[in-house]
Amino acid sequence: MPPFLTLTALDKSFGDQTVLEDLSLEVAEGEVLVLLGPSGSGKTTLLRMIAGFERPDAGSIVVAAEEVTSQPPEKRNFGMVFQHYALFPHLSVEQNVAFGLESRRVPKDEIKRRVAELLPLVDLEGFEKRRVHEISGGQQQRVALARALAPDPRLLLLDEPLSNLDPTLRERTRRQLRRAIQQIGITALWVTHEQEEAFDVGDRVALLNEGRLQQVGSPEELYLEPESRFVASFVGRASSLPGVMADDGRVLIGDNRFQGRGVRWPGVPSESFAPGDEVELMLRPQGLSLAKRAAGEALEGTVMDRRYAGEATYYLVELEIGGELLVAGLPGATQVGARVGVIPRPEISTARIFGRSSGDGS
Amino acid sequence: MKPETRRIAGFGVAALLTWLVGYPLLITLMEALGLPRGLSLDHFAEFARRPDEWQALWRSLWISAASVALAGAVGIPLAFVFARTEFPGRRILGALVALPVALPPLVGVIAFLFLYGESGFVSRGIQSLLGLQQAPWRLSGPAAILLVHAYSMYVYFYLFTRAGLARLDVAMLEASASLGAGRVATLFRVTLPLLLPALVGASLLTFMTSLASFSAPYIFGGGFRVMTTQIVASKLNGELSMAQVETVTLAILAFAGLWAMRRIDPGRSVVVGGTRGVAPSRRVLRRPLVRAGAATLGWGLALLLLLPHLTLLLISFVPPGTWTVEALPPVLDTSNYESLISTPERLRPVVNSVWMAIAATVGAVVLGLAAARLSLKLRGRLGGALETLLSIPWAVPGTVFAISLATAFSVHAPAMGRIVLVGTPWILPLAYLVRSLPVTGRSSLAGLRQLDPAVEEASASLGAGRWRTWKRVTLPLLRPAVAAGASLAFITALGDFVTSIVLYTYDTRPISIEILSSLRLQETGVAAVYGVLLMAVSATAFLVWGREERI
Repeated sequence: MPPFLTLTALDKSFGDQTVLEDLSLEVAEGEVLVLLGPSGSGKTTLLRMIAGFERPDAGSIVVAAEEVTSQPPEKRNFGMVFQHYALFPHLSVEQNVAFGLESRRVPKDEIKRRVAELLPLVDLEGFEKRRVHEISGGQQQRVALARALAPDPRLLLLDEPLSNLDPTLRERTRRQLRRAIQQIGITALWVTHEQEEAFDVGDRVALLNEGRLQQVGSPEELYLEPESRFVASFVGRASSLPGVMADDGRVLIGDNRFQGRGVRWPGVPSESFAPGDEVELMLRPQGLSLAKRAAGEALEGTVMDRRYAGEATYYLVELEIGGELLVAGLPGATQVGARVGVIPRPEISTARIFGRSSGDGS
Repeated sequence: MKPETRRIAGFGVAALLTWLVGYPLLITLMEALGLPRGLSLDHFAEFARRPDEWQALWRSLWISAASVALAGAVGIPLAFVFARTEFPGRRILGALVALPVALPPLVGVIAFLFLYGESGFVSRGIQSLLGLQQAPWRLSGPAAILLVHAYSMYVYFYLFTRAGLARLDVAMLEASASLGAGRVATLFRVTLPLLLPALVGASLLTFMTSLASFSAPYIFGGGFRVMTTQIVASKLNGELSMAQVETVTLAILAFAGLWAMRRIDPGRSVVVGGTRGVAPSRRVLRRPLVRAGAATLGWGLALLLLLPHLTLLLISFVPPGTWTVEALPPVLDTSNYESLISTPERLRPVVNSVWMAIAATVGAVVLGLAAARLSLKLRGRLGGALETLLSIPWAVPGTVFAISLATAFSVHAPAMGRIVLVGTPWILPLAYLVRSLPVTGRSSLAGLRQLDPAVEEASASLGAGRWRTWKRVTLPLLRPAVAAGASLAFITALGDFVTSIVLYTYDTRPISIEILSSLRLQETGVAAVYGVLLMAVSATAFLVWGREERI
C-alpha cells in the first residue's frame, strides 16, 4: 500500500537560520504519527508546512497522490488543532464547529446533523450554545478538535494540543483525543515535546533535532534501539560511559591495564566497530543493578542522590573512575552516601554502543 | 494609612472633585430650569420653539455621524496597511500618522486654512494653473468642517484598529484558513467581528469628539452653526439662559455617549485558552514593483496627512506683506520668530499659556493621582464615585464646561461654595485643570492597576515605612504612567481654545486666542509661528512621554 502522506527532502530556513534540512518522511493511512523533539527542533515548522502556513524552500508534500506543496491552506482540507486552540471568541461552541462546514457551503441541515454527530464524540453534548470563554480549558480543547474534524478532513494536524492544560487534565484530555481520533480512523500528525505523551498516543514517533529527522519508529524501537546518542538520551533516562572496544565485542570501561579497576560490559553496537575504537556506552537505569562492591564486573562508586518515582527508585552513583550512572532499584536497596558497586543486568539488553565522535546528533 | 483616615481623605477628595466637576454642571442645570427663582421649563420651551436651535442640534448630530463614517474610511484601511505590510519607512510613518491626535485642534484648523483655504497653497496653485480670476473654492460650511474632522479624527480609528489587530492571534486566521475560508471570507467572518469592539469604541469616541468639536465649526462654519458654536454665540449675544439650556442639551447628548461607551466591554477577550497567541506577521512585500507601490502609497498618504503641518511651518517663515498674488511665497526669513521674541506683547500669550498649563498640570496630576489611589484602595461605592468623577470631564464637551464654570464662578456666595473667579487669572488654569483630570486620573489608575501589590508589601517587609515605600518603590514604578498623563495634560492645556474663548481676559489671553486675533489682523505669519510653537511642544511631549497613553 502506498503511503498516504509523503514528505520528500523538505528544506526550510528563516533568514540564515536553518529550521529544517533534507527531511523525508512517510505516513500510512490511518496512522497516528507523533513529531517529537525539543523546542527549536523544527517540529512545529514542519507541521505548519504540511498545513500550508509555511512554504518549504525545497522539497515536496504529497497527500493521497496529490501534490499540495504550494496549495493555500484553505484548499488542502486538513484539520488543524492549534496550541492555544484559536477558537473564535465571537462564536458559540456550535458555531465554531460549524465554521468549516459553512466555508464549504454545506447545506444547513447537513451542518446541523454533523455538529450533532461530533459534539457527543468529544463529550460536549449540551454545550452547543455556550460561548467559548464560558467553558473550561479541556472543553475548549475538545471543541477545537471537533471543529477541526467537522469538515471531514483528509489529515488531522495537532500542534502541542495539550500544552495549555494542567497535568491532571492533560492525561484525561489525552485519552479523550486519542479515543476520538481512533474512532474516526483519521490519519493524524501530533506535535509534542513530551516523550511520555508521544509514546502514549503515537503508533509511530518521529524524533527531530535541530531541523533533522533523527529516527522514526514505534515507541519500543526508539527506546530499545536508539540509532544515535541523541535519541538514546532524549527518549527516556540514560547515562553514558566512555570506553574502548574490546576484542570480545564488549566495551572496556576504566583502565584495567594499569590499575586493574576496569570492567568489560556488553552492549549492542549501533554500527560496526573494530577492537580499540573509542566508543560510548549508553545505559538505561533498568539495565543496571546495584551489587556488592567486590562483584566481578562491578564499577564502584558512591550513591549521591536517591529519587523515588513510584514505579522505581533511581539512584545516582558517582563512579570512582569518573562519571555518573543512574540505576533503577528497589526503594530500600541502599542509601545516599553508601559505597556500592554497579553491574549490568544481562537479561535486559538495553545498553547501546555509539562511536565517540560520530552519531551524537548535536 | 488607617482605614478611617483613608475614608476621610476619600470623602475630602470626592468633595473637592464634586465641587470642581459636578457642581458647575449642576448649577448650570438649575439656572437653566429657572432656579432659584422658581422651577420652570420656560427656557427649554423657548429652545424648542426656535427652529435655529433644532437646526444646530440636527447639524451637530449629522456632522458627527458623517465624521465617524469619513474618519473610519481613512483610518481603518490605513491601520490595515501599517499593521499587515512591511515597506521601507513603515515604522516612522506609522508613528507620524498618529500624531494629529496630539496636536491642538486649532493648530490643525489654521493649518488647513493655510493649505486649502481661499488663499492657501492648493487653491492658489490651482488658480494660477488654470488662470482663474478667483479662488476655485471657499473653505467653509459643513464640507470644510467634515474635511477637518476626518483629517484629525481618523487617528482614533487608526489607533484602535491597529491595537485590535495587534491583539488578534494569528492562529485565529490560520484556523479560519485551515477550515477552508479564503482571505475575503476570513476578513468578514473572523477579523472584522473580532475588531468590532475596537471599531465601535473608535466610532463612539469620534462621535463624541465631533459633537464637542469647536475650533473647526468656529473657524469654518460661518453661518453654519452646530451646538458648540451656537452656545458661544448665545453667550456673546447676552442670552445667557439660552446658552445654559443649549449647554444642558449638549451635556445630555454627551452623557448618553458616555453611557453607551461604558456598555461596550473593552476587555472583551480575543483570547481563549490561556496564553495569548502571536499577532500576524507583516507581509513582507517581495516583488520590487509591489514594494515600491506600497511604499509610495504609504509615504504619499502620510505626506498628505502631514501636509497641513508642513504648510504651517512654511507660512511661519513668510514675512508680513510679502506674499500677495504669487503661487509660492517669494521671500522666506525668520522675521516672524524675531518679532515674537522681541515684542513683549507678542511673548505675553506664550508666557501666559506656559504658566497656566504648568499650574493646571501640576494640580491635575496631584489630584488625579490622589483620587486614583484612594479609588483603588477604598473600592466600594466611594471608590467608584471617585473614578466616575474623574472621568466626567472627558465626556463633557469643553464648551459645556466653560459655560458651566462661567456660570458657577461668577457669583460671590461662599456659603454656597461659589466665589468669583471669572475675570481673574485663576479661572483658566482651573478650567484647564478640570479638563485634564480624566487624562491624569486615567493614567494614574492604569499605572496603579499594573502595580503588583506584592512589591509594596515586599518593601514593607524589608523595613521601609509608608513614606519611604511610596518614594522609593511606588512612585518610581508609576513614573512612566504619570509622565504620560502629565505630558498629555500639559499639551492639552497649552493649546486649549474651546474653554479659553469663553473664559479668557485680555491679561490672561493664551496662545490660541492670540492666534485668532493675529488671523483677524491678517498677520498670518505670526499666527503660524504660534501654531508651530504649539505643534513643536505637543509633538515632542507626545513622542517622548505620550507613548504609554496613546489612547
